[in-house]
Amino acid sequence: MMMLLGMLTCRLASAFAELANVYYRDEGRRIRTRVEKKSFNSNELNVRYCFKVAVYAEFRRDWAEAWRFYEDAYHTLREMVGTSNRLPAVQRLVEIKTVAEQLHFKISTLLLHGGKTAEAVTWFRQHNASYKKLVGLVDSVFLHWEWMSRQFLVFAELLETSAKTSHGSSTLAVGTADNPLTEWEFQPAYYYQYAAHYLKEKRDSFEIALSMLEMTDKIDSRAESVVPSIYMGQFARLLDEGDKVSMEPLIDEEYIQYAIAQGKRFQDSLEIVVLLRRAYESFSNLKAQRMASLCGFQMAREYFSQDDFGNAKQLLDEIAHLYRKEGWVTLLWDVLGYLRECSRKCNAVKEFTEYSLELAALPVFSSFGVQSLRSKECGPAGPASFAQREVIHQEVFGLVNGETGFETIENSNLKITGDNPLHLETDLVSPLRLVLLASVAFHEQIIKPGLPAMITVSLLSQLPLTVNIDQLEVQFNQSECNFVIQNSERPPSATIPNGQQGRRVENASSLALVTNKWLRLTYAVIPEQSGKLECIYVIAKMGPHFTICCGAESPASMEDLPLWKFEDRVETFPTKDPALAFSGQKAAQVEEPDPQVDLIFGATGPALVGERFMIPVTVASKSHPIFSGELKINLVDVKGGGLFSPREAEPFSMDSHHVELLGVTGLVGQDESQLGPDKMKKIQRSFGLVSVPILKDGDLWSCKLELKWYRPKPIMLFVSLGYFPDSNEASSQKVHVHKSLQIEGKTPVLISHQFMLPFREEPLLLSRIKPLAVSDQLASLPLKETSILIVSVKNCSEVPLQLQSMSIEMDDVSERTYVLHDGGKDILHSAHLVPGEEFKKVFTIIPEVETSNLKLGSVALRWRRNFVTGDQSTSTATDDWVLTKDQLPDMCVEVSPLVISVECPPYAILGDPFSYLVRIRNQTRLLQEVKFSVADAQSFVLTGFHSDTVFVLPKSEHIIAYKIVPLASGVQQLPRVTVTSVRYSAGFQPSIAASTVFVFPSKPHFKTAAQCKELVLAE
Amino acid sequence: MIVCVAVVGHQNNPLYIQSFTEADDALKLHHIVHCSLDVVDERVNNPKKSGLTLNETFLGLLYPAENYKVYGYLTNTKVKFILVTTDLDVRDADVRNFFRRFHAAYVDAVSNPFHVPGKKITSRTFAERVSNIVKSFGFNSVG
Repeated sequence: MMMLLGMLTCRLASAFAELANVYYRDEGRRIRTRVEKKSFNSNELNVRYCFKVAVYAEFRRDWAEAWRFYEDAYHTLREMVGTSNRLPAVQRLVEIKTVAEQLHFKISTLLLHGGKTAEAVTWFRQHNASYKKLVGLVDSVFLHWEWMSRQFLVFAELLETSAKTSHGSSTLAVGTADNPLTEWEFQPAYYYQYAAHYLKEKRDSFEIALSMLEMTDKIDSRAESVVPSIYMGQFARLLDEGDKVSMEPLIDEEYIQYAIAQGKRFQDSLEIVVLLRRAYESFSNLKAQRMASLCGFQMAREYFSQDDFGNAKQLLDEIAHLYRKEGWVTLLWDVLGYLRECSRKCNAVKEFTEYSLELAALPVFSSFGVQSLRSKECGPAGPASFAQREVIHQEVFGLVNGETGFETIENSNLKITGDNPLHLETDLVSPLRLVLLASVAFHEQIIKPGLPAMITVSLLSQLPLTVNIDQLEVQFNQSECNFVIQNSERPPSATIPNGQQGRRVENASSLALVTNKWLRLTYAVIPEQSGKLECIYVIAKMGPHFTICCGAESPASMEDLPLWKFEDRVETFPTKDPALAFSGQKAAQVEEPDPQVDLIFGATGPALVGERFMIPVTVASKSHPIFSGELKINLVDVKGGGLFSPREAEPFSMDSHHVELLGVTGLVGQDESQLGPDKMKKIQRSFGLVSVPILKDGDLWSCKLELKWYRPKPIMLFVSLGYFPDSNEASSQKVHVHKSLQIEGKTPVLISHQFMLPFREEPLLLSRIKPLAVSDQLASLPLKETSILIVSVKNCSEVPLQLQSMSIEMDDVSERTYVLHDGGKDILHSAHLVPGEEFKKVFTIIPEVETSNLKLGSVALRWRRNFVTGDQSTSTATDDWVLTKDQLPDMCVEVSPLVISVECPPYAILGDPFSYLVRIRNQTRLLQEVKFSVADAQSFVLTGFHSDTVFVLPKSEHIIAYKIVPLASGVQQLPRVTVTSVRYSAGFQPSIAASTVFVFPSKPHFKTAAQCKELVLAE
Repeated sequence: MIVCVAVVGHQNNPLYIQSFTEADDALKLHHIVHCSLDVVDERVNNPKKSGLTLNETFLGLLYPAENYKVYGYLTNTKVKFILVTTDLDVRDADVRNFFRRFHAAYVDAVSNPFHVPGKKITSRTFAERVSNIVKSFGFNSVG
């Protein structure tokens, strides 16, 4: 049912629409033919018909036709301006403009809705150009301006609505010959601004018209009965004749009176502000800050004229900021003039003075103001000229000095009195920097306490007239240094503030500040406190109750004066010395008083890795007693890196502290108990803090720093003592003494080892003959055979060492899997090692397990510095034994299938035969085929096989025996035997050392020790 | 008729501003010149949108003020020249030609060894020359 109804409604609607369409088309066509045939004799009708056609076309959504006919109507209407004389002149123009406005609105709307923004803007431009000049008669000018304002407002609003719906702003190039439109013309803000502008024009001319009307006093009640006629833009008087109402045409005079009476109802100012605010906000959103500022300025002027000073000031301050930043002095002058007037009207003395001073100090010259500004155009500050600056200067100084005779000031309630003194402050960013700039430079960067240091205070002012300063106060961060410079030309002010009593007062012959000329004053200050001494403020007193506090600036880092930096003026240095002007600083470093205490290190190293190295530190007071002394100890990497942070290559671990401060001991000259709980003793790995007891003049105190090196490394030891030379800590200054020492940590001993086999015995180790890469193969030891390990220790330090013991110790986890025979006793009574000397110890090892990875353990060496020759006073190490460990490499243990040992006497005698036996022991369960050969030797004759192949039974021994006669004496090479195992295809020879024998020429007679003893006894 | 010409430094500070009107509207012209800097900024920051070609110094019509037209020119040292004219129908070529001559005058003025770059131009010769260029504006478009 509902659906049916809906369908019916739809159909009904379309039927009506169709009908209406047809009707309007016919109607339109009918009128259009009339227009085309020009079958009428008045332009009015032409316009009317065109409008009708266009409206009908609009009904039919035929936008192109609508637009065309609206345009026709518009152009016909424009032609009527000079020709029509139907109505009195003023009303005629009003009518034409009203119709034109209507047509223009239609056309603009059509264009904007069609997305043709550029065309719409161009159209508006033409519209504006063709009607702008049609001002009309003098007393009706305000009507024209009102109309103009409305054109702009309406177009702005149209543009705003269309911008919201379509964002297709023209991307065409703007401002060129091809496209004379510019960016702002697409912005509603631009039109709002002009709407406000014309409204302002309207208000001005309206006021004139109103005053003229009031002057002639012709206001009568006839205007009250005027009403809009039924035709647009026409007005008529309504005549009330009882029950009949009739319209009567107006004469222009009546119409103007009516219009003025109507106009009186409107508050144009409010409207202007609203329009300007829209433009202002819109421009601000577009980041067009200068346009926005102009709107803001106009708005502020509006507020100002309405006596709304709060709003005006807020806007003006913002604008003044922009003009200051960009250096537009004339604009700033105008803005400041308004601001000054605002503050005067609000009785804000401080602001009035600030703005006045800034105005007076602006770079405005007479030469600029050649074109004398009309007094109406220039704001309350008056024309921007040098003379006006002087006037303002005199006014403001008249105010602060309490003088009279200045009109501006006497008209206001501005007063500066003792109860209400005026204190201004300027800093780096303050606009008052132009008024007074203080540059302060210490002549020296580093100054000694208690000695006078020179300081130059320079002042610069851009005020147009010379200013006399009554008194200058220079303030430092150390208030004892503050001083006052009194102008001796002026009588000293009777009321010196209480805070200044006791301050140093200097006298200066003159404190006159000439325009753009530095006033340089050089005085001495005597700092007492060490640390930074900085000049903070220079306070200039210029009247009985007026001071300017100026933040001190360093000449080295002083910025150019704002605004004045663009002027072509003579620039001078704040100080006489140009070097000081480039480098002078307002702050200086006051040194500490010289310390009267010595810090002595008792040792210089080098230290040995592993030992507890002692460094005695002595604090010797020379002429200062020491109170609350603190000894700070720091260990620093010599390379300047962090405090023992791991190097890049080394992984971080707790061992990263290669050197450690173990403690501070042996506090000589005092008991440990003397260190009360309040006394500090804080030791960290690389940092220590120790309290020093109270020491009288000439006393000594010492302690020992205990350091331990874990790895060889040079370090820097920093020790600093901070103390008070006075028991009263509050008043006296802390003094610091620093001392540093580079200490090297060195390796004390170099431990090396060597494996050997028993003399003239050679086991066949298969791993040695295998063609494997040597690098990944551990050295092999034969299983159950004796191997000899020689461990040698070399003293590589520069001091003699004493060894206590050397042993091979297993690591905690692993068990010993070999038999170890220690070559000697554990205690080495007199093992003194001078530098470079070597100590060796022999161990015998018999591996018992066949393994590829035999843990041998590590060599443990206990040693200490040898004190026998060392002087105890400079001894730097404790007498504890130091344990140094050196890991032995892992070994491979394997069974040797064959062992060959060579037997021959320890020596031979020339011509005396001896037996030379080669034993081949087969340790396997297999029959071993062994080839052997003997090479002849020059010095020997031998009996036996030169070469043969023998079979050695399992677990048995084969002996090849030779008888050898030596033919030459001396160290002789025995005939070398080469044995080759066929099974393992491995040949091996005894080493050359093992096959060497000494041949005596004849039988020697040895004297043994026992025989010698007997001999001696016998004698 | 040209009513005002201005040279604006790269910090948007006025270096030279001279109006050539009998009417007392110097302040208004200053405002117009100052506001035109917004358009210059806009054009320079969006060269694509404003269709400026590379190395083009002439910025074209900046905006039409009430009775004036404002033209801009940007040198390669970011110094801006602003021209305010009351002529409503100005030929582009005339304006270009004006700016070209004005630029030459400016270059000569700042080439003075006694001129400190960035400071206001106070040279009288420059002022005279500018005044001549302004007077001849539009008459000899060939220049």
